[in-house]
Amino acid sequence: MKLGWGIATSCLIGLFGVALWLAVWGAASLNSRPLAMRDALGPGPGFFPVWLSIIGLGLGAVLLLQVARQPAQSDAPSLIPERAACARIVAILALLAVAALALDPLGFRIASFVFSLLALVALGIRSPVRILAFALAASIGIFHVFYYWLKVPLPIGPFDYVLKPLGL
Amino acid sequence: MDTLQLLLNGFAAALSPVNLTFALIGCILGTLIGVLPGVGPAAGTAILIPITYKLDATGGIIMLCAIYYGAMYGGTITSVLLNVPGEAASVVTCIDGYAMAKRGRGGTALGIAAIGSFIGGTIATIALVAVATPLSTLALKFGPPEFFGLMLVGLCLVTGLAGRSLVAGILMTVVGLLLAMIGIDPVRGAPRYTFGVPDLYDGIGFIPVVMGLFGVGEILATAENPVRDVVRTNLSRLLPNKEEWKRSFGAIMRGTGIGFFLGLIPGVGAIIPTFISYIVEKRVSKHPEEFGKGAIEGVAGPETANNAYANASMVPLLTLGIPSSPTIAVLMGAFIMNGVTPGPFLFTEKPELVWTVIASFFVGNVLLLILNLPLVGLWAKILDVPYQYVCVGTLLFCVLGAYSINQSIFDIWVMIGFGFIGYLLRKLDFPLAPAVLGMILGPQLEKSLRTSLEMSAGDFMIFLTRPIALSLIIISLVILAVSALQLAPKEIREGSAD
Repeated sequence: MKLGWGIATSCLIGLFGVALWLAVWGAASLNSRPLAMRDALGPGPGFFPVWLSIIGLGLGAVLLLQVARQPAQSDAPSLIPERAACARIVAILALLAVAALALDPLGFRIASFVFSLLALVALGIRSPVRILAFALAASIGIFHVFYYWLKVPLPIGPFDYVLKPLGL
Repeated sequence: MDTLQLLLNGFAAALSPVNLTFALIGCILGTLIGVLPGVGPAAGTAILIPITYKLDATGGIIMLCAIYYGAMYGGTITSVLLNVPGEAASVVTCIDGYAMAKRGRGGTALGIAAIGSFIGGTIATIALVAVATPLSTLALKFGPPEFFGLMLVGLCLVTGLAGRSLVAGILMTVVGLLLAMIGIDPVRGAPRYTFGVPDLYDGIGFIPVVMGLFGVGEILATAENPVRDVVRTNLSRLLPNKEEWKRSFGAIMRGTGIGFFLGLIPGVGAIIPTFISYIVEKRVSKHPEEFGKGAIEGVAGPETANNAYANASMVPLLTLGIPSSPTIAVLMGAFIMNGVTPGPFLFTEKPELVWTVIASFFVGNVLLLILNLPLVGLWAKILDVPYQYVCVGTLLFCVLGAYSINQSIFDIWVMIGFGFIGYLLRKLDFPLAPAVLGMILGPQLEKSLRTSLEMSAGDFMIFLTRPIALSLIIISLVILAVSALQLAPKEIREGSAD
C-alpha cells in the first residue's frame, strides 16, 4: 500500500486503513451486543454477528501487524492518479450524486439528460452537437425503452406535460 | 419422466420464437458487454436485469444466462484487438491473442476462440445434463450441516484463491458477510446493524453493490487511464489453416475438461481455468517457445476453458444453489427476483423451467457461433466508439438499474458509495469476488449454521459426527492451509484476483 509520497505517508495511510477497519468492527461489535446470543430455540440473532465481530477485530490486529512490519519500498508505484485523472474521477462521482439528487424532483429524462451533458464535457468531449445529440438520444431513448416498452416505473418529473406532447 | 424426455421438452420450449428471440437478444447484449472495456459480465448482467422485469420467469432467465455466456465470449475481442481484457477471464487471451493480431492473424485468433468456445460450451452443457439430475438427487439428502460445509468450501476457495494474499481474501469475505447481515435477521426477525435507518431494514441490495463494485468502480478505473490503441489486423480470414486446426484440437479438448471440472467446484472463479489451461498447453506443446509470441493453442485452450467453465458453473448453481463467481451470484439474484430459487428442489418443483433454461444453453452456444464468426468485423468496429460515450452510457444504465429494483434513490447512493469503494479496493489490489460471494452466501451460511445448532441443541459436534459435513469442513481447512502456505501455483494466485 504505497502512495509514492514517501514511506512515512504510506505508513500513515496504512494505519488510517487499520483504524477505519477497527472502527467499523468496533461499531459492529457494539451494535450486536443487545442481540441475544442464544434463545429458547437455539442460537439467537446475535450469534453470527458476535462471532463475525470477533473475527473482524482479530483480522484488524493481523492488519496492524502487517502494516507495522511492512518493508520500505521507495520504488513502489504511485496509487494517486495524476491531476487530470483525479478530476475525471471526482467529476463522475459528483455528477452521479447530482443525478441521484435530481432523479425524483426532475424526473429521469431531465436528470439523465443533464448528467450525460455534463459528464461528456467533464470527460473531454468538446463538440456541442455530439454532446447534445448523445445526451438527448441516451436520456430519451433509455426512458422510452424502459418506461413505455418494458413498463419499468421511472420518475417522470414535473415536466411530463411539456415533454410528452413533444414525443419526448 | 426421464432426463432425455425433459430435455427434449426443454428444447421445444427454448426453440419457441419468443424464447429464441430472448436468447438472441441476450447473446447480442452479452457480447456487447464483453466487448466494451469497463463493463464486466457481473456489472453488465446486473445492469441489464431491468430489461427482464416484464418478461415471464423462463424468458427473463434465458436472456440473463445468454447475456452471461455472451459476455464471456465478448471479452475475447478486446483481448485480441486491444490487449485489454473485456472481462477478467480473458486476461490470458491477451498474451497470445494480441500477439497474433499484431502479426496480422487477429481474425484467426477470434475464429478459433469462437469455435473453441462453441465446442467447450456445448460439451460442458452435455455434461451438465448428465450430472444435474444425480447431483440434485444427492443434494436432496443434504441437511443443514452439509450445506454449511458446502458453502464453507465455496467461501474458502474464493478466499484462498482470491489473489495475492490470504489475509486480503479473508478481509473481503468478512466484509461481504457483514453486509449480508444488515437488515432483519432471517431466522428470528430482529433488526441488525440498521442504526434506526428505515432504508436499512430491508438490508443493502446485492445488485446495487455489484453495480457499484464492478460497474462504477471499473468505469472510474477506466477514466483514470482512458487511452486505447486498437490493432488494425486482418479480420477477413477467420478459419485456421490445417496445421493450426491440428494444434488447436488437443487444446480445445483439454480446455473443455479443465473448464468443466473447475466449473463444478463452487468458489473457483472464471479466471483460474483459463490460467490452468494456458499453463497446461505451454507444458504439453512441442513449441513452448512460441507462447507469448502468438501460439494459437494459447488462445484456443483458455478460451475453450472459459466457456466450458461458464456452462459448468451453472451446475452448482442449479443443483446446490451455490454460485461460483460474482456473475453467477448476480444470476442467482435474478433467479430469486423472478421467483425461482436455485437449488436441489428446482429440479422437482420447476422441471419445465430448469430444462428449458438448460436447453437454451445449447441454443445460445449455436447463436453465439453464428453471431461471432460472420459479425466479428462489426464487433471490432464497436471498439472505435470513444470511451467517453461508453462510460456515460454505462453509468446511466447503472443509475437506472440500481433505481428500478425497488424504485429507491437509496439504492443509487449505495451504488455510488460502493463504486468509490470498488475503485479504491482495485487500486489497493484487494479482491472483490470474496466480498460479493460472502454477501450472497452470508444469509444461507448463517441460516444453515443456526439450523444445524438448533438440531443439535447447540452442540458443535454435529459438524464432526456427520461424515459429509466433516469432510467438507476438512476440505475447507486444507484449502485455507494451502493458501496460507502459498502452495498453489504462482500463476493461479496472481491471476485469480477476480
